[in-house]
Amino acid sequence: MPERTIAGDGAAAPEPVRLGVYTCHCGGNIGHVVQCERVAEIIGRMPDVVVARTDPSFCSDAGQAIIEQDIKELGINRVVIGACTPSLHEQTFRNAVTRAGLNPYLYQHVGIREQDSWVHSKDPEGATEKAVHLMAAGVAKARLLTPLEPIRLSAEKRALVIGAGIAGLRCALDVARQGIRVTLVEKSPFLGGRVAQLGSVFPTDEDPLRLLHELIHAVTAHPSITVLTQSEVTGLSGYVGNFNVHVTQHSRGVEKDTAEELLAACTQTTPDEFDYGLTQRKVIYRSYPDSYPAIPAVDWEHHDGRPLQVGGRSVELRDEPRIYELTAGAIALATGFDPYEPRHGEYGYGEIPEVVTLPQLIRILARVREGEPLTWNGHPIRAMALIHCVGSRELDGVQKPHADGQVNSYCSRVCCTASLHAAVTLRQRFPDLDIYDLYQDIRTYGRGHEEIYRHARTSMVRFLRYHGDQRPEVVAAPAGDLHPVVVRVKDSLTYGEEIDVPVDLVALAVGMMPRQIDDLANMLKVSRGADRFLLEAHPKLRPVEMAVRGIVLAGTAQGPMNIQESLSAASAAAAKVAVLLGQGQVELPPFVACVNTAKCDGTGACVQACREKGAITLQTFNEDGGELRRAVVTPANCTGCGACVGVCPNRAIDVQAWTLAQYEAMVDAIGADIPGVAGADE
Amino acid sequence: MAENDRTKQPKILVLATLAGGYAGADSAGQAHADYPANTYVLPVMCPVMFPPQFFLRAFTRGIDGIIVMYSGTDSPYNVEADGTAALIDRTYSLMKEHRIDTRRLRLAAICTVCVKPFLKEVTQMAELLKGLGFVKDELAAPA
Repeated sequence: MPERTIAGDGAAAPEPVRLGVYTCHCGGNIGHVVQCERVAEIIGRMPDVVVARTDPSFCSDAGQAIIEQDIKELGINRVVIGACTPSLHEQTFRNAVTRAGLNPYLYQHVGIREQDSWVHSKDPEGATEKAVHLMAAGVAKARLLTPLEPIRLSAEKRALVIGAGIAGLRCALDVARQGIRVTLVEKSPFLGGRVAQLGSVFPTDEDPLRLLHELIHAVTAHPSITVLTQSEVTGLSGYVGNFNVHVTQHSRGVEKDTAEELLAACTQTTPDEFDYGLTQRKVIYRSYPDSYPAIPAVDWEHHDGRPLQVGGRSVELRDEPRIYELTAGAIALATGFDPYEPRHGEYGYGEIPEVVTLPQLIRILARVREGEPLTWNGHPIRAMALIHCVGSRELDGVQKPHADGQVNSYCSRVCCTASLHAAVTLRQRFPDLDIYDLYQDIRTYGRGHEEIYRHARTSMVRFLRYHGDQRPEVVAAPAGDLHPVVVRVKDSLTYGEEIDVPVDLVALAVGMMPRQIDDLANMLKVSRGADRFLLEAHPKLRPVEMAVRGIVLAGTAQGPMNIQESLSAASAAAAKVAVLLGQGQVELPPFVACVNTAKCDGTGACVQACREKGAITLQTFNEDGGELRRAVVTPANCTGCGACVGVCPNRAIDVQAWTLAQYEAMVDAIGADIPGVAGADE
Repeated sequence: MAENDRTKQPKILVLATLAGGYAGADSAGQAHADYPANTYVLPVMCPVMFPPQFFLRAFTRGIDGIIVMYSGTDSPYNVEADGTAALIDRTYSLMKEHRIDTRRLRLAAICTVCVKPFLKEVTQMAELLKGLGFVKDELAAPA
């Protein structure tokens, strides 16, 4: 039975609090609304405040140097900074105070930009008074801060990569090359994702299958990578360094030696997603001829369950899922995107057979052999139109909201170059084709992309420009017309002339949509942005990392990207995983429960309230010849939710850096009349 | 509302989870949305850390309305969804015992991008407090 030691017993008297308080102008973002000097003046009069300063930008090197200098020269031992939201620069300032020799947790960040100046620009006096109260609350909390150390835990040197498209493959390979084992989980039966569906890759015009097969070969040959196809993550618990993952793998359904026989005997078909529903495929299938793994697979979602008749035998296909349990130190999400599916009737899609999406056009072109004419539905294509921004850059109040009530206001970034690349390809393969390109703006932002635009402009591609609130209209042509479809557009290049463009085919350059991964996102507790794509913790300070530690983003799960960007993001994600797991241990913030054993009398209320397995236990200690029961926290299992804090009758447990006493002090500061602020009883 | 409080506004405290309400308030800021300046948002990891007495104490220390903006079932904490709801129920009982109007405390599920719901909650509370006035006046009124 352990001997009890009481935290704080016999400790040296705490040093006097010496506060440095810094109110940032944020280059005018705050200072143009909040009177920062007045805030500093009022806060500077408060007890324990040694210095109160303002600066145009405390996050700059010069601004941080001021704080560091004050710590060293004025003996500041608590720092409060009023600036942008904590998620942006809290870590920046923690690093700054650490450089000056102060414990990083003796720093308090106060958000007065997103939470004040940006939302009260019409009420500068109110915004200033609010800033004073918020800074006063920061000061009140800072007085009660104590030095803390991060929690260090051993980490499993294995990464889980979810999704085996080009980004997942790249990420898995890069992680494995750092000496970390990888389990690569792919939902579909084949590797490669959407890249395999492309005809050629801009800006280099390379064969996407060659790129993909090189990568697949490297991944599957690597001894540290385990690939699980037809698999999904179906359970997850734990934390960075030690995620416990359940993966469910469906049966492939066929064996190597009988696969071809079964494939030949299979007669049931379903729309082929590889061709975006333009063709049918069997329910025993390969996604394309050279797909990997080479052995076909059963599409269990569409298989009707009836036995196959093979050589007079009846063969029943059975899905017998297997569950794998594994521990991973980090998780990379490479779940990809889905192309926008236009609504029925949107630009005539689904109503007029001659209206297809750009991905469908690419699959149509892939089936036309060199020298053959371009046809669709049995008709020769002599004129066609490409329409940009379908399902992208939609305007709230102009475009109809989608099922979730939102419009896609974001730019999908890839479709401009993809459309122009398609136009140039069409021109090269079908010199007599009339090509019309209808756009809002051309955004060919990548290296080599502008050349594709230039090529299109000099290749007799006719450009027509529309405004976002006056999108083109696609209608069926009157019977007997030479061309079956008419595209109507108000063309701003000809000063608003209304033009009817008769064509044989319309391709809609659809945007990228976040993939529906609700179950996985809920399981991982990861956040989405306003565009519904997965949200990284900070675009500049923590790129490709999610707010949940140990989870990173690889590729288009994060937002629209081209292949080049997707691969860069995948390599960045791999680098983050390697840094995280390379040392075999991870550091966690110390925001976990901590028991004051002097106050604890072992009621067990905290243990009953806690939902985290093994986070708090009651243990028996020997003291002065008697036995005492006291709560003990296991930091690795504690999430810092504070359920234990709210129920303790003795206030003997708190979450470090988020204590109840600190909140009470902050509330008092907010509720108080502060001298110098209007309405205060001075 | 007392005559000498003419220049004061009732104060609204928002206890907002880092995974939900606080990020939602940030989104409102990034959208440069406008809401009353007597609203003070404090980040919390999970609201279940507060005992009901915490809210009661806040009402006696100059806070006139409290909105708990939690993450609901999207929370990273197993206990947050039902634990917070139970906490608010217990707090309502305590408020009734102390004759504080329970409308002064609200629970709302706010996500990282819930700009409109965030604004709705804040403006509704501000409107409510215009009618209810300060807690200290409510407590001072004869039973």
